[in-house]
Amino acid sequence: MTHFKSVATTVALVLYATLGQTEPLSPIDHIAVAPDIAINDNGDIAVMWVDRSPELSGDHSGHDRHLSYTDLYVAISKDGGNTFETPAKVNHDDGVVWGQSVSRPRIVGATDGTWHISYAANEIHPDMDKPALTSHYTRSKDGGITFDAPRRVSTLTNSDLSDMIHGGFTSAAAFQTITSANDGSLHLFWVDTRHMSPEESTGALYSAVSRDGGATFDADREIFAANVCPCCQLMATTSAGADVLVSMRDVSDDGYRQATVTRIGPDGKITHDRVDVGTAPWQIEGCPLKPTAVAVKDDAVFTAVYSGGEEEPGVFFSSSTDGGKSFARAVPTHAHALVSDAPTVAVNDSHALVAWHGKTEGPRRVFYRMYDLAGAPVGDVQSVDSGPGHASSPVAVTLPNGQFRIAWEQDDRIHTSALPSSPIEIEVGLR
Amino acid sequence: MGAHLIRYLATAVLSGTVALFCVAGLASASEPVRQISPDDFEAILSEQQGNIVILNLWATWCAPCLVEIPDLLKVEADLKDHDVTLIGVSVDEPVFSTDHITRMRDKRFPDFLTYARDNRDTDYLVTVVDPAWNEVVPTTYIIDRAGAVHTRIQGKKSLEEFKAAVLAAIE
Repeated sequence: MTHFKSVATTVALVLYATLGQTEPLSPIDHIAVAPDIAINDNGDIAVMWVDRSPELSGDHSGHDRHLSYTDLYVAISKDGGNTFETPAKVNHDDGVVWGQSVSRPRIVGATDGTWHISYAANEIHPDMDKPALTSHYTRSKDGGITFDAPRRVSTLTNSDLSDMIHGGFTSAAAFQTITSANDGSLHLFWVDTRHMSPEESTGALYSAVSRDGGATFDADREIFAANVCPCCQLMATTSAGADVLVSMRDVSDDGYRQATVTRIGPDGKITHDRVDVGTAPWQIEGCPLKPTAVAVKDDAVFTAVYSGGEEEPGVFFSSSTDGGKSFARAVPTHAHALVSDAPTVAVNDSHALVAWHGKTEGPRRVFYRMYDLAGAPVGDVQSVDSGPGHASSPVAVTLPNGQFRIAWEQDDRIHTSALPSSPIEIEVGLR
Repeated sequence: MGAHLIRYLATAVLSGTVALFCVAGLASASEPVRQISPDDFEAILSEQQGNIVILNLWATWCAPCLVEIPDLLKVEADLKDHDVTLIGVSVDEPVFSTDHITRMRDKRFPDFLTYARDNRDTDYLVTVVDPAWNEVVPTTYIIDRAGAVHTRIQGKKSLEEFKAAVLAAIE
């Protein structure tokens, strides 16, 4: 009897669940890639993606534009992700968006509900009649129904690097990101080629800041003149105190490409300069195309990044408890996976969520794992139940109720789903 | 019975297609770059069994890739007597035609035998050789005479490094 009583003692199991599975957001007859997801202070959710419409196929320009000739769409949910409104097109001119999974357009929500968007755009340099890549900005002040005429925020330089930047661009201001701070300021960052030469193949980090909600931007400003990985997208987020944390891969003279986070104060001064996030040195003379995801909660900063320098390459998670001044040694999120890559990170009051795409057997799936705010893993790796198909390129955001929501691409369409705010403990009584 | 027959016929048709492909042999470096499927890729590689294959994943936008391809061509030429074949696969986006890849190939290294992927998912094609590929370019595989990957090399390397890797596979 005692035995049965013992057996009947409740056992706490840690389970995760995927909540509120939705139908794909993007139309069935279009190719949709490179999702991003954001939330504004109204609690509205925006999911944005790059659309390769069938009618855009073909080289319209007569130039080699790095083979990206795409549109940008946003779908808004005003009910916490249960339903999404009809997607709205962001760019005004067809096909001007230079977007792909490794250089995806970015969206952020502001305190006043405005949606702010940055993307790299195809232009033809007016003086050279050659393609150039520039960073563009637009916003929606009516809840994602219409978007301002996009405008260039990067300087279109007169240098002609078309023989050097393969794809024939005279210059490039791409791999951009955007973040919105509590003080209302907007910060755009991009990798700029203006100092590139046959002798200097790394990029520069440039920024443009708006302090009036995106109505105007200051002239672009150089943060780092060189040593920025020219093909690794930037990521950025802001602290409660309106500090900006921007991640990049720093290229050393001997070819190491380390994932770093730089902290910039509201006055524009760098407080923590390219702090290594704790991955093993990765020396590669190539195109990693690997961004560093970053999220912040008070003094805790979390990163997730693909590292090729480890004995077992894959996604590595690291945390800082001193605001990004230093990071703990990064740890693998998905040990023994065949592939783990393309991570995203989000944080709520108690947990950080890392999601990525990986392969264990069969095609790519989206996986996730949670960590406490000290950076310790909580529970095991979980797979998002997304049905058959190749699932990849997840992005995550934290909702006002603490739940996480992710979006990802799967077989040419964009999906979104809620995840729990923390590991769910379920008490199971054995009878 | 019917299902078996259909499967048999499908296999026969597929085999015939592969056989035709094999009869046709490798594409010529002077022809426009052709997009290939995983099945095509498997057929191309299986035709090379008995040879040492240098398989190079590259892209038109990858500067280090473009720098190392001439070195790979030289390795192939220097070790021709050892049945070494260089095969490229461009991982450029397969959105439009392959004209831009052909233009780049013809302009910079006209002797480079290369194919392009026919699917938006890069991983789809490379999985044939390496299910754990991390989507970094350049990536070069040295494939031994039995068709197995002997060495995976990532990032641009020197001519000497490539030659040493191929010689190790020959031995």
